Amino acid sequence: MTKEATPVKGYLNKAGNFVLEYLVLIAILLLVIITAIIEPRFLTVENFTNIMRQFGPLSFTALGMTFIIVGGFIDLSLPGIISLVSMITLSLYDTIGEVPAMMVGIALGTTLGILNGTILVASGATTQAKALFITFGMSEIYKAVSQLYTGGSPQDRNFFESPMPVTNALSSGSVGGIFPIAFFVFLFFLTILFIFQKKTLTGRSINYTGGNFVAAELGGIPTKRIMIIIYAICGFMTAIGAIVLFSRTPVASPLMGADYARDSIMAVVVGGTSLLGGRGSVLRTVLGVSLIILLFNCIVLISTNQFLPEVIRGAVLVLAIWLDHRRHAKG
Amino acid sequence: MEQNEIILSMSNVNKSFPGVKALTDATIEVRKGTVHGLVGENGAGKSTLMKILSGVHTKDSGTIVFDGETIEHTTPIQSIRRGLSIIYQEFNLVNTLTVGENIFLGRYREMKGLHNSHKKARELLDSIGSTINTHTLVSDLSASEKQMVEISKALSFSSKLIIMDEPSSSLTADELKCLFRIINDLREKGVTVIYISHKLDEIFELCDIVTVIRDGCIVDTKDVWKIDEAGNKTENLTRNEMIAMMIGREIENEWPERPRCAGDTLMDVQNIRTRKLSDISFKLNKGEILGFVGLVGAGRTEIVRAIYGADKAKDLKILINGKQSKIKKPRDGKRAGIGLLPEDRKLEGLVLSFSVRDNITMSSLEEITKFGFVNSSLEKGIAERQIEALSIKTPSPNTKTKTLSGGNQQKCIMGRWLEINPDILILDEPTRGIDVGTKYEIYVLIKKIAENGGSVILISSELPEVLAMSNRVLTICEGKITGEFNPEETSAHEIMDAAIG
Repeated sequence: MTKEATPVKGYLNKAGNFVLEYLVLIAILLLVIITAIIEPRFLTVENFTNIMRQFGPLSFTALGMTFIIVGGFIDLSLPGIISLVSMITLSLYDTIGEVPAMMVGIALGTTLGILNGTILVASGATTQAKALFITFGMSEIYKAVSQLYTGGSPQDRNFFESPMPVTNALSSGSVGGIFPIAFFVFLFFLTILFIFQKKTLTGRSINYTGGNFVAAELGGIPTKRIMIIIYAICGFMTAIGAIVLFSRTPVASPLMGADYARDSIMAVVVGGTSLLGGRGSVLRTVLGVSLIILLFNCIVLISTNQFLPEVIRGAVLVLAIWLDHRRHAKG
Repeated sequence: MEQNEIILSMSNVNKSFPGVKALTDATIEVRKGTVHGLVGENGAGKSTLMKILSGVHTKDSGTIVFDGETIEHTTPIQSIRRGLSIIYQEFNLVNTLTVGENIFLGRYREMKGLHNSHKKARELLDSIGSTINTHTLVSDLSASEKQMVEISKALSFSSKLIIMDEPSSSLTADELKCLFRIINDLREKGVTVIYISHKLDEIFELCDIVTVIRDGCIVDTKDVWKIDEAGNKTENLTRNEMIAMMIGREIENEWPERPRCAGDTLMDVQNIRTRKLSDISFKLNKGEILGFVGLVGAGRTEIVRAIYGADKAKDLKILINGKQSKIKKPRDGKRAGIGLLPEDRKLEGLVLSFSVRDNITMSSLEEITKFGFVNSSLEKGIAERQIEALSIKTPSPNTKTKTLSGGNQQKCIMGRWLEINPDILILDEPTRGIDVGTKYEIYVLIKKIAENGGSVILISSELPEVLAMSNRVLTICEGKITGEFNPEETSAHEIMDAAIG
């Protein structure tokens, strides 16, 4: 140990921090390069369109989840909200028409989010752990209600009589045959939420609430209102995710949203938003979603094993949480 | 007893953290069987020094010799086994285990079973004159009892050197006496103690030698007492000299002169009743500094939390300027013109991982929001204005508050409230764990608030501080107000009597 060792160590530390901070970007780049070398099909326009098309339901739900996690909470009720919103929206297609039904669905999703937040506030649950259990319970309730509503049977859209131009556009419409319409819808919400998060008082208040709930409350920030707002945003975005999801499948079942709580949390954390709350952004989530989509695109191109993606999905989640702790827990 | 043997010597120890030089050429020699005081402002490098000794941090360069053995790399457990124990301020005990189990944690086999562990623990506790039952859970112990357990644990490793990091911060006066007795006993037995403290009275009462550290450099090491030929002990250095060494300049007074601008009644608080408080009613005048005196846990914090809306209180009526205010949550308190600087600045005051700017502007963002959007150039202005006005020492407004010293952290919260200029500012332990120099700056700030027509409620465990700053003092004991005094006319003794009940 000599005195000269110090600056070198400092640089190494800095380099280490930089790598940790921009790990997702580096991972995305590496993934693109490796896949392109192994499988030239990866760099075709068709595959590019395919990748953008996959910016589907998950990108919307993950955007919503970002606000929950930055606010210091967690939401496991996504499967329930997706289930109930899909079933009720689809059942209204024939009676009130496509677009009004979607509006009802979005309003319903937002309401369920507000309900989640209100129950958390009323039960005095101000920690992530309590939110975990309560929202998990809420999800079960929403799923059960949607099963009751449909009698447990899936909704088959082939029997619908009303025309569905918007639904079709969402599922397969594109601009110039390359850019999917759903991708533009995603960019639209991304822009709005980005500005909301960075520039508005409410967006900033969400950061404070997640950074230190007690300090934010004592500093005069309406933390309870903020809790309801973040769950409302998540419910809203989840409802849009649900609409994009069922627009793609001919048959919608009450259980089709099962993976979305886990995958959304994964996308947010992989993007580098801390599970500890207070820090993170929707742009990071876009990186997280991109990495996950690319990763699965690449696995599908390279291997045909159907279980491999599941294994990798789990490994990525664990790795992301581990890195999150390394990044933020060290003083 | 041999007093000249060196048990620990550190020479030219350096340590840097990214962007900060924490220690520069630190050189200390500690003589065996002495109580060696270590004083310095917060962030001066005391804890870094101790953490290098214990093996939590690794030094960049320099040599450390402990008990004749040169130490290169060490881990906390190796240090303890070598006979070097550290008792941290926040203790290192497992709350859900018993006293005996804690003392011999992980060494039951060496002790030949739990039964023997408890027996040995009993002997150790007896040896320091403590009567705690070894089967009590640590969670049921008071801070002072936990300290006894920590000391016994250190002794169980037959430690030659025990380092105590601010051991007095959570003790009452009686408990402190007891601690001093134990430390004196240890010295008799030849155990060396390094005593880290802010409180100079304790250094004078207890220590043989004192080392002053400032900005990562050792300023000086001096004998506290000198003994002349006739055997009389006299102080070798004065209190003011020591303070001057700590902060690097002379200060004339510890407190500024108290402001005298108390006017008419501003706030009338009636009937606070909670589980802990009964029938608390009092008045606060405009421009007045009102001190709350009481023991820790007497209910001082609960009173101000109820006023601010942080705790629910039944039948509470608050009249501000004669008008009734409905305060149900902190936000209402803020709207009614009250600000609260909470007791625990790290847990309740700051968002530690956020920047200085974010922490300062937290409560004033609403004022600079139009159509929901925060005006970021005004926000920058607020942060810069407060950083300058309070002379907050920070590399930039974007620096994270967790890297700041305690005093500067506290100033960030002060700045947050000064920006929205509340009529009533409640300060709960504003100077706890803050160095002498910054303390004075905070007193001056409090004075300025009163002079500008604001009212202040001041809670502090340091009696001299409350008495020197307040216009009026309320004593609180077991959830009741037990007296009202003018600190200029009443003796500190009388006030303390009322506070103890």
